[in-house]
Amino acid sequence: MRVDPIFRLIVTRMTLSFVSLLAVSLIIFASIALLPGDTAERILGRDATKQSLEALRVQLHLADPAPERYGRWLSGIVQGDFGRSLVADRPVLPYIENYLGRTLVLGGLALLVHIPLSIGLGLLAAAKRDGPVDIGMSIAVLIGMSVPEFVVGIFLVLFLATDLQLLPPLALVDQARSIWDALAMLALPIVTLNFAMTAYVVRQTRSSMIDVLRSDYVRMANLRGLSRSRVLLVHALPNALAPAINAIALNASWLVGGIVVVEVVFNYPGLGRLLVESIRFRDVPMIQGTALVLSATYIAVNLVADILTLLLNPKLRTRLA
Amino acid sequence: MTAFDLISAQSRQQDGPDVQRERGAMPRLLRRLPVNAWLAALILIVYVVVAIFAPAISPFSPTEIFVGSPFQSPDNVYWLGTDNLGRDVLSRVLYGSRTILLMAGSAAAISAILGGLIGMFLGYLGGVVDEICMRALEIIMSIPSIIFALLIVGIVGASGPLVSVTVGLLAVPNVSRVMRAAAQQVAAEDFIAAARARGETRLSIVLREILPNVAGTLIVEFSIRTGYAILFIGGLGFLGFGATPPTPDWGLMVNEGRGTIDASIWPVAAPAVCMAVLVTTVNIFTDGITRILGPADTGRTA
Repeated sequence: MRVDPIFRLIVTRMTLSFVSLLAVSLIIFASIALLPGDTAERILGRDATKQSLEALRVQLHLADPAPERYGRWLSGIVQGDFGRSLVADRPVLPYIENYLGRTLVLGGLALLVHIPLSIGLGLLAAAKRDGPVDIGMSIAVLIGMSVPEFVVGIFLVLFLATDLQLLPPLALVDQARSIWDALAMLALPIVTLNFAMTAYVVRQTRSSMIDVLRSDYVRMANLRGLSRSRVLLVHALPNALAPAINAIALNASWLVGGIVVVEVVFNYPGLGRLLVESIRFRDVPMIQGTALVLSATYIAVNLVADILTLLLNPKLRTRLA
Repeated sequence: MTAFDLISAQSRQQDGPDVQRERGAMPRLLRRLPVNAWLAALILIVYVVVAIFAPAISPFSPTEIFVGSPFQSPDNVYWLGTDNLGRDVLSRVLYGSRTILLMAGSAAAISAILGGLIGMFLGYLGGVVDEICMRALEIIMSIPSIIFALLIVGIVGASGPLVSVTVGLLAVPNVSRVMRAAAQQVAAEDFIAAARARGETRLSIVLREILPNVAGTLIVEFSIRTGYAILFIGGLGFLGFGATPPTPDWGLMVNEGRGTIDASIWPVAAPAVCMAVLVTTVNIFTDGITRILGPADTGRTA
């Protein structure tokens, strides 16, 4: 059975993800329930009345022991019951579904732009090595990885939206009248996310391309008189992709966290902004739900990325063949 | 040599961690530090000096309101203008360097010290303990840092020390992993076996035999973590979960100023540029010392 080792790796990886998810749920619960001080008072603030504190304690079953509350919370979630929002007094789940969907759309589109863009730029930098394009790009890359996303976002809004009025400054997609409207609103958040992600992949693609371009078979291909673009794209690129794919996988998981800040900058109604806002309002069931779903997304993205890199790794692939 | 080579993690020489670096090696190592890393070090020193002497060089108090009228453009009294409350932006930015350097520095120190100790012990001990701890660390690493930082800081209440500790602890597994790999190489050396034969305790072997040989990697890790911590803490400050107002905190300043950016761009631009330059400098410096001190992980994984 040749498939066995890979299959086993994947199963191990999935088990680990599941354990991670459980651990994460425990940490989310504990960070809210087990911190020193009275939970009800922390939620309502110091000047809350005795009655309101008592009502909240009953609503959140704060008199029960913590393990019991954790068990109830978790089994509720398994059955699709995330509790009721303290602020909106409505079930949490529909909120999470809507907001998660929008976050996935933004993240997915950002990745869709990211993959060809960063590999293409890396390729270009390697092909024009040490030329002005390469140097210019290397400086852009260094700046891209050093400037915080919120700064990039704010200045993009300032120049492209406020001054030039090319694109809408806020991504209020609920108010979009058409799909083009929505895409225009998403343009700046997508650019902002790509600003942060591109650097690493360009670096990886460029250096692995340069290594491959030095190898004998590429020299042979050149000597046989094949066109430059054919050598680059058909002969060299496929063998230089592994490090780039690895970097893209890392970026995909970074994206789940990075999107939080970008959603806040552009007022995008996604899960990250929902989390930030429910923390501000101390809406415990909403905080727990959003944090858990965001973490689960992060773990899932990591899992998929790991399995994909595993399958796309040339060394493992040849062992399979 | 392009800037790519200067910042590239791939093209670094694989010459560290040297086992048993002899005395007098430091000056020779420093001579190999690239020019741009020296430049970066110089800029970092300027930042530190500014942070230390902020009270002496700031023209105004960083928190006093209406030292000028709101949204003044830069002139020769208010070099970087004033913000929405008429506070002097330059003074706030100067004091802000204290906040960020103190917070990011202590966060990176926490990651480096704890992660270094855990990593070295695991690398030296090996076996079942190592196996179990590495699994546990992998699980901790599967937690998205920003979400947990938000949870902890948001629920307990934002405060500088708490943010530093949280950001520092969240990076401990990453540092542990790198330090473990470095310690494993050293643990196989003869002088470790000799120390064991002499009857040295585990603690003494880790601290006196292994640590000096992996110190380079640890310094690189500290440097990398400082860069991350600045971005991370800046992001938290921007979201309103970092230092509390009216603390002159760069992330917070950007957040406070962005609503009124049409009235004046300076309260946002000044802290933003300072932060960007600082992170760029730290990154260039990190790449420089990585080149001479040995490998470590790279990539933007907050």
